Formats: sequence, structure tokens, C-alpha cells
Amino acid sequence: MNKQLTSVFAGILLFIAAITFFSSVYIVDETKQVFVTQFGKIVRGPINGPDKDEAGLYFRLPFIQEVHPFEKRYLEWDGDPNQVTTKDKLFIFIDTYARWRIVDAKLFFEKVRNEAGAQQRLDDILDGESRIVVAANDLVEVIRSRQREAVVDETEVLDDESQLKPFQRGRSALAQEVLDNAGPNLKEEFGIELLDFRFKRINYSQEVRLKIFERMITERARIAMKFRSEGLGEAAKIQGAQQRELKRIASEAYLKQQQIKGKADAKAVDIYAEAFNQSPESREFYEFLKTMETYKNTLSTNVTLILSTDSDFLKYIKQSTPEKE
Amino acid sequence: MVDFPNEIRINPATINKLIVGGVVVLLVGIGVMSSFYKVDPREHAIVLRLGKYTGAPVTDTGLHFKLPFGIDRVTNVEVTTVHKLEFGFVTQTPGVRTSYASRSRSQSEASLIVTGDLNIADVEWSTQYVVSDAYNYLFKVRNAIETFGAMNEAVMREVIGDRTINEVLTSGRSEIQQEVKEKLQELAKQYELGINLDKVILQDVNPPESVKASWNDVNEAQQEYSATINTAQAKYNEVVPKADGEAERTVEEAEGYAVQRVNEAQGDADLFKQVFSAYQKAPEVTRTRIYLETLNEVLATGPRKIIMDTEAKGLLPLLNLNKEGKQ
Repeated sequence: MNKQLTSVFAGILLFIAAITFFSSVYIVDETKQVFVTQFGKIVRGPINGPDKDEAGLYFRLPFIQEVHPFEKRYLEWDGDPNQVTTKDKLFIFIDTYARWRIVDAKLFFEKVRNEAGAQQRLDDILDGESRIVVAANDLVEVIRSRQREAVVDETEVLDDESQLKPFQRGRSALAQEVLDNAGPNLKEEFGIELLDFRFKRINYSQEVRLKIFERMITERARIAMKFRSEGLGEAAKIQGAQQRELKRIASEAYLKQQQIKGKADAKAVDIYAEAFNQSPESREFYEFLKTMETYKNTLSTNVTLILSTDSDFLKYIKQSTPEKE
Repeated sequence: MVDFPNEIRINPATINKLIVGGVVVLLVGIGVMSSFYKVDPREHAIVLRLGKYTGAPVTDTGLHFKLPFGIDRVTNVEVTTVHKLEFGFVTQTPGVRTSYASRSRSQSEASLIVTGDLNIADVEWSTQYVVSDAYNYLFKVRNAIETFGAMNEAVMREVIGDRTINEVLTSGRSEIQQEVKEKLQELAKQYELGINLDKVILQDVNPPESVKASWNDVNEAQQEYSATINTAQAKYNEVVPKADGEAERTVEEAEGYAVQRVNEAQGDADLFKQVFSAYQKAPEVTRTRIYLETLNEVLATGPRKIIMDTEAKGLLPLLNLNKEGKQ
């Protein structure tokens, strides 16, 4: 019995020893930074703070020292969509994000206790700052970033309505301003280092969006109209060119035709003249022949010919020998 | 000791031995079980010894040894697998005919982007990436993927914010993909995400739903523009060459006329010359012959003839012209 009691006692002792051991060591993970408090007072730390490489096994006084771990990694902050009025009186929603980390765990612990508290502070400060910055600038400043010219496709030349809106500062300058305004404050007051702040989404509010859609629709209608009338214009040009071309072709053909004919006629005249105009006799003979030919052609059946008996033809009708005049 | 059913006698020392033995076996078992881990070909393993990184990822595939009882903790990270983030749409069942889930409000919010000319484009895109540095991925940034998603949205908007809606919808697509990829890669490096960008792919890029119809109308107008011009050009092409041909015909005909005219003249002239030279041999008789032959021909077939004596007067009463006309 005595022996049994001893072994039970030994077991309990072992158990207590184990608990004491385990509560006097702690592991600092690669992703954590810690400090140790004793009755609420910081006695050690931060261990494995930012830019330090101190992860591993550590000892503490069991039961009376408390370990407070904090995240060492870069953390994100994602803002809620936030309605802001820009300087040019447009209602927009901005949605932002930031990256931060805890650089002063002690200050962080004292001021905001934990990450949830930190997120809330970040909400307040970053939302506020971005609201101020956006409200002081025109919308285009949060949209544009880089100075560039729009590339207009050759096939789109008619569709050149949309132009990039000019800007001065641009989105990254505005984000930088928020960062500059909020950063030092967060570091000094809360031990939070702000690494980056960016505008994630910028969208028109519902009413503005409908107006934008309406504008886009009318703009499109205008462009469509332009295409159609421009097409008709081009077609008319072609039709005009067609008419001009037809007239040119026809008149040129006429000109050539007349020139050719004229030349031929002139040549014919020359040939006839050369043949008929050899001598007075030939001229007279031609006249005679032509007259005879004309008789054949003109004196047809529907003509009544009244012949005088003293005509050459009928000179024998009264007597067989011609009279001597 | 043999008769179990009748008599159970247990020696306390044996019980102790059994308990101790059991505990030892259990501990050894757990120890052995937690002393091994495996690394897939797709993976790198990160080992933390008492919370501290051992310095290099384990890249050899196969079974590995580690210290048991949670002294070594191992996290496997897929490093060769290409992961995909989708914005503005969700792939429901990937495959040959991939189907997409209908869009939620937050997705359509993610895809509506204000362009540099202050219009709105509906841009869906996906980003493919691999984890290139398991250490950074796990230990530098918490929720690297969420951060990466936010970066994607910010960068895409930045790039589209510098383009007109026309560029976004048509010509600028590949340029946008390239620029977003470069900027994201740069930012991922700066943030030490341990992520390497593979591709940024613009999926559907559209005008917003309610504007689509008017956008299509422009496309139609553009088609009509070409069609109208083509029709006119076709007419032109139909008519003008034909006129050209006709003109050529006119000229050719004139050419023909010319040849004919000259030849006929020449023929007539030659004929006359010959006849004339023959005539000159006996002009009087030839002349009379031609005269009489002609009259013979004319008067034999042709007109009515009235022969009047030279002394006859008053021709008119003889003629009933009206009647003659009616004959």
C-alpha cells in the first residue's frame, strides 16, 4: 500500500513538474513578435520584432509572466466603399486598401490592444484622409495615373469622340498624399507602420452612373449617326465621280469620233476634188453625170413631169431634123 | 493462470507494468508517426524548428525525417501549380465547355471600371500566378492571396484609367494585359508576396449592360457605312467600264466610217477618172448617149408625163391637181 501511495505521489509530482516546465518555456514563431509582462509591466521584449530574426524557444518565470504575441508579417487593411464628393461635384465611391505592420508592439498594445482595434483606427484615419484628399481634387485625378496619348486605330478614325481627360497629379500622387498625411501619425501614436496605400475601386454612385450611361448612349448615337451620314456622303462622292467619269468618257468619245469623221470627210473632199477638178471639161462632165444620176433618183412615180416640146429630149417629136436657130 | 473464465487474478505489479508499457508504446508510436513528412513533386516544404525557420525550403521529393512532438512543424506549399484568380466572373465547372456562374453584385462592382475618358467599361479578367518563394509567401505577408487580389483590382484600374473606352474595348487589349502584368509583378516583388506572375488575361471586355445596345448600333452603323460605300463603288464599277467600252465602240465606228468614206471617195474618183478619160475620146456622142439612156430609164418607169407644145397656153385647166394627188 505504501508503495502504491509513493507511486501516485510521484505521478502527481511529475505532472506538476511537467506543467511548470511547459509554462516556463514558450515558442516565438517566425510570424510573431512578442513581449513579456510581469504583473502587467513589460519586462522583456519585443522579441523577434520587425527586421529581427529571433524566432525560437524562450524561457520565462512560470505563472507570473505573461507572453503577448503580435503579428510580425505585413497585414492588410481593406477599407469599406466610401461615398465622397469630388471637387467637380461628382458622387463617387472609393474603395481603398493599405498594407501595414506593427513596428512598436508595446505602443501598439498600449494604444489599440489588438488587431481589431487597429483595423478600427485605420478605418477612421485612412477613410478620413482619403475623403479629404479626394474631395480636394477633380475626379480625373483619381482615375488617371500616367501622361499618355490615346492610340486611335485607323479603322476608328470616325470614332474619335473619346479623349483622355487631362490631369495634373494623378492617382498615385493622391495615394501618396494620403500615405504622407496618415503615416507619421499612425507610427507615432499607434506603433503602426503604413507601407502602402492605394485606391482599389473608384466607381460612380448609382445616380451618377445612370447619367454616365445616358451620356454614353447619346454619344454612341451621335457616332452612329456620323457613320451613317458619312457613309452616304462617301457614296454621293462616288456617284458624283461616276457621273463625271461617264460624261468625260462620252464626250471624249464624241470628240474623237468627230475628229476622225472630219478628217475622213476632208480627205474624201480632197479626193473628189482632185478627180473632178482636173480641167474645165472634167468639171462640166462631172456636173452632167451627177445631174443624170439625180434625175434617176428624184424623178419617181409620184411626180408629174411637164415637158415642153422644145426641150432637148423632145426636139424630134415635131420634126426629125432640129431647127436651126 | 490458465482458467480465465473461472478466476481472474491480477497482479498489481503487472498492472503498473502494463500502464507504463502502454504509455511508452503510445509515446513511441506518436513519436514515430510525427517523425516523418512527405514532399510532393509539386511542393516545397518549410520546416520550423521550435518556431524558427530552418533556413531553406525542403525541395527533395519523397519521405523526410523531422523531430517529433511538434518540435518541428512542417508546412507544404504548392510551388509549381498555376493558381488562378478571377475578377468579375466565376468559373463554375471548368472543362471543354466551361460554364460560368451568374454574377453577384460584388463581382459586377469589381468589373465596372472608370476609363480615362470618364466612361465605364465592364472588364472581366483573370490572373494566373505561382508561388515562387514559399518563405515569403508564408512569413512575410499574412493572407498573401487577399492582398494579391486587392493589388489586381488597383492595378487594373490604374491601367484602364489611362485609356479611352475605345482602347479598352478594341485595340488596347494586349497592351493592357502586358502593362497590368508588369506592374503587378513589380508590386508583388515590392510587397515580398513570394508570388510570381504567369499571365494576366482579359476575358470579356464590354460596355456596361445598359449601354451595349447603343454600342452595337455604332457597330451596325459602321457596317452600313461600309455597305453604302461598297454599293456606290459597285455601281461605279458596273457603269464606268461599260461606258468606257461604249466610247471605244463609238471611236471604232468612226474609224470605220472614215475608212469607208475615204475608200468610197477614192472609188468614186477612180471610176470618174476612168469614165472621163474614155469620154474625152468621143465627148459628143457619149454625152448624148448617157443623156438619152438616163431619160429612157427615168421616163420609162417613173413619173407621169405631160408633154406641152411650146405654143400651148393655160396649163392649169388641164390639171385636176386634187384628183392627181389622190391617185
